[in-house]
Amino acid sequence: MFILRFLARRLFQGAIIVFLVSALIFTLLRVVPGDPVRLMAGGMAPEALIEQIATDMGLRDPIWQQFGRYMGGVMQGDLGQSFVRPANGAAVGGASFDDTTRSERAEVLTLIAETAPMTLQLALLAMVFALIIAVPIGVWGGLRPGGWPDRMALYLSSLFVSLPNFWLGIVLALILSVKLQLMPAIGYQGFAYTILPALVLAIEIAPFVIRTLTVSVAGVMRQNFIDIAGVRGLTRNQIVFRHALKNSSVPLLNLLGVQFSMLLGGVLVIEFIFDYPGLGLLTINAVMQRDFPLIQGIAIVTAAAFVLINIAVDLIATAIDPRLEY
Amino acid sequence: MDRRNFLRYGAAAGALFGAARINPDFFFSSAYAQGARPLVFLSAENITGNWDPTAHTTLSQTNIEGFVMGYLTRAPMRPEQPDEVVYELATEITELDAHRLQIKLREGVTFHDGKPFKAEDVKATFEYGAMADRPKQVYPGPTDTFEVTTPDDYTVVVDTSKGGYGASLFIFLASYLPILSATDVAAGPKGPLSQRLNGTGPFKFVAQQGNNTVMEAFPGYFRGAPKVPGVTFSFVGDATTRMLSLMNGQADVIERLEPEQVETLQGEAGIKLSRLVSVENKYLWFRCSKPPFNDPRVRKAAAHAIDRSMIMEIMGTAGEASNNFISPIKFGYFDIPNYPEYNPEECQRLLAEAGFPGGEGLPDLEYITSTGFYPKTKEYGEVITALLQEQGFPVTLNVMEVAAWNERLYDRPGGGPGHMVDCGWSTGSPEPDLVLRTHFHSSAKRITGIEDPEIDAALDAERNAHSMEARKESLQTNLMPMLADKVPALSLFTSVLIHGMRADVDGLFIYPDGQSDAATTTIA
Repeated sequence: MFILRFLARRLFQGAIIVFLVSALIFTLLRVVPGDPVRLMAGGMAPEALIEQIATDMGLRDPIWQQFGRYMGGVMQGDLGQSFVRPANGAAVGGASFDDTTRSERAEVLTLIAETAPMTLQLALLAMVFALIIAVPIGVWGGLRPGGWPDRMALYLSSLFVSLPNFWLGIVLALILSVKLQLMPAIGYQGFAYTILPALVLAIEIAPFVIRTLTVSVAGVMRQNFIDIAGVRGLTRNQIVFRHALKNSSVPLLNLLGVQFSMLLGGVLVIEFIFDYPGLGLLTINAVMQRDFPLIQGIAIVTAAAFVLINIAVDLIATAIDPRLEY
Repeated sequence: MDRRNFLRYGAAAGALFGAARINPDFFFSSAYAQGARPLVFLSAENITGNWDPTAHTTLSQTNIEGFVMGYLTRAPMRPEQPDEVVYELATEITELDAHRLQIKLREGVTFHDGKPFKAEDVKATFEYGAMADRPKQVYPGPTDTFEVTTPDDYTVVVDTSKGGYGASLFIFLASYLPILSATDVAAGPKGPLSQRLNGTGPFKFVAQQGNNTVMEAFPGYFRGAPKVPGVTFSFVGDATTRMLSLMNGQADVIERLEPEQVETLQGEAGIKLSRLVSVENKYLWFRCSKPPFNDPRVRKAAAHAIDRSMIMEIMGTAGEASNNFISPIKFGYFDIPNYPEYNPEECQRLLAEAGFPGGEGLPDLEYITSTGFYPKTKEYGEVITALLQEQGFPVTLNVMEVAAWNERLYDRPGGGPGHMVDCGWSTGSPEPDLVLRTHFHSSAKRITGIEDPEIDAALDAERNAHSMEARKESLQTNLMPMLADKVPALSLFTSVLIHGMRADVDGLFIYPDGQSDAATTTIA
């Protein structure tokens, strides 16, 4: 019963969060400068036509009315149609003012469903790479607080955190893809295209994982039960891998949950640099084209993902440490 | 179910879902494994979402049309022979008299959908392309000013008696307007024309997949099937990303290189560069329909405030100095003697004469430019802003990404956004009116919004000239000096198109408007 009560409560709270995020994004988009109808209709459109299209689409109604209509659709799984993108998903530019012959507009849900798995793949791989880089360094640093492994963990974290991701992306593409021809870098034709952007993201995330692990492992190693474990005759490896690491993993888990949610929210710069067709690239184009329904759709989906990931993280944390209550 | 089991089953379901996402090819095929593969072309600009060639003036989409569509003639427009015409779907063009042009067509050509190419297609294209509601500006006049007859399936006669202008204008048009299928045209602008491209060119349009336009070789192409199996034309917004793609071999051709990228790529083995003086001039367009640039004296004062030699220094290899409103490879080009030069004293005199001594009383001026498509726009935009401010123009530079700039580019009732806009204009034909009439005639006035009866009369006069020589004289002695005097826009320089391509790409012919002919291209 615990699990049902827990899920019901957290999902209800999550729904409120998603609703508030939607309301905020919806309102902000309508008060910032930049008329989406001008972009839809084209630069040469006369004002009368702009107003007519805007009125027909209900964009001149009060914001609360527009929001009510929009949420009505969302409740039925309809995130609306893109203002700008045709059904084939291409990013489009200027056209004529009264061009009624443009292709049918794409469904927001379809655009998100096509790109979200790409970002999910990128985020998962980035997390795996980040853990491969950070866990040995962080644990080693935590086991030797004040020693050179701890200092090295600090220096490496400082180095990684100071590398701008756009610079690192270009440099790694130049070295690994252009010079060494080890892997492709731009666009997406298969899984191999995920490796390089994931590596850049991993280097960005790794410092946080290293610091969290160093601190929590060092903290756990000072606990009484660790000393007692030695007295019980456990080897150092058994103490570290079976007890210390398990107890250090709760703060790490929370950190990974937040980081993963942020990655799913769209890794804008990285996807743009690598022309990686995920949610980040979709978001950049949507913002540049004032594609309101698409921006709103992405915001709702990522807010929902954030909520769900956090529920999962809390569940896993209680499994690791039953004393935790959420 | 307890929470441990819940997590266990959840993890198993996640792993199952994740496994389905993994591409097994990755584990046993190299990303660089290549057999006969399509030519990959990376574009700096996105497309419009409407495939009708008469519905846009977007360069990237015009470049795609260059692969798919057929033209009556092609104009290579090399500086040594700017008016050279190469026959493609036409085999002969003859001026029967001043108002009648006869075009003989190639036989045995078919469209990609299987329809045989005939005179009816040329007639349909000319009539449809000249309709007043077609956004692509097609000269020399609307459909009711000329008549197209088809004495037989492979002969077309264009009669311009009704319009009063010379039929020879259609000679240059022949290399600008892609020939559409009469069947597609008959279905109207909401028919298949807007859904896909159907031409007689070397490559057949297959699909638009996200930002990739996929084309495959057309085996029935009349000059023989292309050597490469297809062309993939992709929009990649970032210039560095395009360059890295070329360097790592993912792209075969990239366009619009920045001058510093040229320096980088010059030293790279396996990469070659193509540098072409283009048909495109870059302009500072004035919004002529609203103050203060509705006064030609203020426009001219601004033109005299700008030192174009400084812009040329910034442009380096990506620009070519010119003193006209059209490119040196267009018909009628010459250095206009009264073209505005940097002259601060004259600038101040004109400002004072217009009632704004030292710029006093001028409203705040917005200068809109873009970044990411044309090379160095932001950099020389800052120089122009500083030069104008030096003379008292209260100018603010507004640098926008391409989509937002595109949205603000054109004229609107009451004047377009801002007061000055940076933009180039490129048309794949030696025909000067594709620039001059499009922008400066009151029936078109795309960006400037200018309505000036004297300019209209001068444009009509050169269009109506009865011979090419008479037309050139009218352009050079009447229209062009008048434009230099009224300055509805200031042409800053002529663009140089710099393409980077892999050294193993052979036989790719690039036209000065950016279109490419890959019919005989090979990739070693």
